[in-house]
Amino acid sequence: MTPRPLLRVFVSPAVLCAIGFAAALGAVLQYSLRAYVPGSLEPGGFTLANFTALLHPLYARVFLDTVWICCLTAFFTLVLGYPLAFALVHARSVALKSVILVITVTPLFLGEVVRTYSWIVVLGNNGFLNSMLLKAGLIDAPLQLMFTRLGVVTALVHVTLPVVVIMLAAALAHIDRDYERAAASLGAGPIRAFLTVTLPLSTPGIIASVTTAFAWTFSAFATPQLIGGGRVNMVANLVYQLGFASFNFPFAASLSVAGLMLTFAVLALMRTAARPFERIGLH
Amino acid sequence: MKRLGTSIIASALFFVLLSAPSDAVAQDKLVVSIWGGSWRDMVDKIIGTKFTAETGVPVEYITGGTIDRLNKEKLAKGNPESDVTFTTSHVGWLYANDGLYEELDLDKVPNAKNLIPQARISPYHIGTWAYVYTIGYRSDLLKGVSFESWQDLWKPEIKGKLAAPDFDPSHLIVVAAILSGGDAAHWEKGQAKLKELKPSFKAFYTNDANSQQLIANGETPVQVILSMNAHYMVGEGVPVELVIPKEGAVLGIDTVAIMKGSKKRDLAYKFINVALDPQVQAQVASFKKGSPMVSNAKIDPAVARLPGVFTTPEQWSRQAIIIDHKLRAEKTAEWRKWFTENIIN
Repeated sequence: MTPRPLLRVFVSPAVLCAIGFAAALGAVLQYSLRAYVPGSLEPGGFTLANFTALLHPLYARVFLDTVWICCLTAFFTLVLGYPLAFALVHARSVALKSVILVITVTPLFLGEVVRTYSWIVVLGNNGFLNSMLLKAGLIDAPLQLMFTRLGVVTALVHVTLPVVVIMLAAALAHIDRDYERAAASLGAGPIRAFLTVTLPLSTPGIIASVTTAFAWTFSAFATPQLIGGGRVNMVANLVYQLGFASFNFPFAASLSVAGLMLTFAVLALMRTAARPFERIGLH
Repeated sequence: MKRLGTSIIASALFFVLLSAPSDAVAQDKLVVSIWGGSWRDMVDKIIGTKFTAETGVPVEYITGGTIDRLNKEKLAKGNPESDVTFTTSHVGWLYANDGLYEELDLDKVPNAKNLIPQARISPYHIGTWAYVYTIGYRSDLLKGVSFESWQDLWKPEIKGKLAAPDFDPSHLIVVAAILSGGDAAHWEKGQAKLKELKPSFKAFYTNDANSQQLIANGETPVQVILSMNAHYMVGEGVPVELVIPKEGAVLGIDTVAIMKGSKKRDLAYKFINVALDPQVQAQVASFKKGSPMVSNAKIDPAVARLPGVFTTPEQWSRQAIIIDHKLRAEKTAEWRKWFTENIIN
């Protein structure tokens, strides 16, 4: 009799899933090293040509664009999400908490495609935003928001916000309120108490949510596909355009492998950069 | 270790039981693979219902995108998930080249004797309806602009107004080649011409719904558009003008085939025969505003008058640009890569 008799039973489905994921990843890696045969679904012999083809400047540009869009999305999601999470945790009224929670979480139930289509209605030349600005006399001609990086980042922030708010709220809820009370009793005003106590103590939550937002955005497909309209492309869109829409699965696989490597590299960099800040949040 | 092994086997059995189809159910139905949405609904309503009425056999549909279904059938090679598959003509060649299709015995399809020559795609797949990709524009938003030739897309007035599909650049690649004295096989002749069109693009749409939305809200008032989509939008009250340029419009044909390894080949042939029934073909033409594939279909005159609906040999020869379907299957990747690297990005 083992000390935890049910552990193996509970772990075995996870082991099976892990084997499945590893096999799928192995297949992608294997495909990335095979030649594309025009007009056939079967790949040819082993080759590095798919990776040498990635040296075209277009791919470097799209990879850099993807990282930049992820950074912008993570930053703006944090800027918008932190006050929401703070209000969610600190609101005294249960009704207010519920309202904030519902507003924050509801978009999660709509699905990415529906949310993205709603942004097309908002951002279009004849959309809600331009119509309001034109009626208010603030602009003379519609602003070009669709098919721009600004439009894509705006929609991505909306898609990512619920996850970030939930993560930040969890982190903020774990901060002992006595620290803030202690700061107040020593003469700190609300802003100073927030800047010197709450914000530093929430650093681990900030790092976790920014990292999640970044990784979440890196694999974005539907939002840049629909809002970007082919003018703003991320790695997943390239994989679709060049691989799946043209049946060149080996090249699609090499793009995916390169994207995965880039994600690992950027996340490792972020981890290294965040390490000094993590210590600040220890409590 | 032994206990872990037992647990893994138990979990595997659980997953297998979850995913395995019931043989009892699989025996008494015909499984048809098709795109979802209105395509599935149309085939079910017009073809499936008649097939079931004639044979007593229900039809079950597997729906998905072109590539999803292709991949699934590739993985199930020899033991197909479906008995009958609908897909585009050039994608059908990918199925055929990979040995996924049964070679058709058209003697078992009496209605096939009326097939028009353009519908005989290969020994493995035949056309069920046709459409064109051509110029569609919002006449209310582009006042004073007319389109008689594909060349008109290069007009300065179109700068920043055009959208084209991001999933298939073959239409514009072949058109640019033709305007430059080439053809699909010598498409490189049109590369410089197509690069001149780059400033005209405002966006690239990703599917039918995206195309409809972009032309309905006026975001891209000119599109290289699927004729069926344009007719649908007109029906919805959007003033879209569809043009058949003097060089012709780029033809697309959706096809039907029997999967190799299907255990219900006789029923599959009956299903295809129903799909080619002249009355069924007329109903399909009315529903989707597409061209029939049999010569004896009696098309509603109002539908037959629509641009992109071909009902006479003269229309087929003068108004359709037909890209060799096998060549298109072989060239798609090359065209797609060039278009992405030089036009989209």
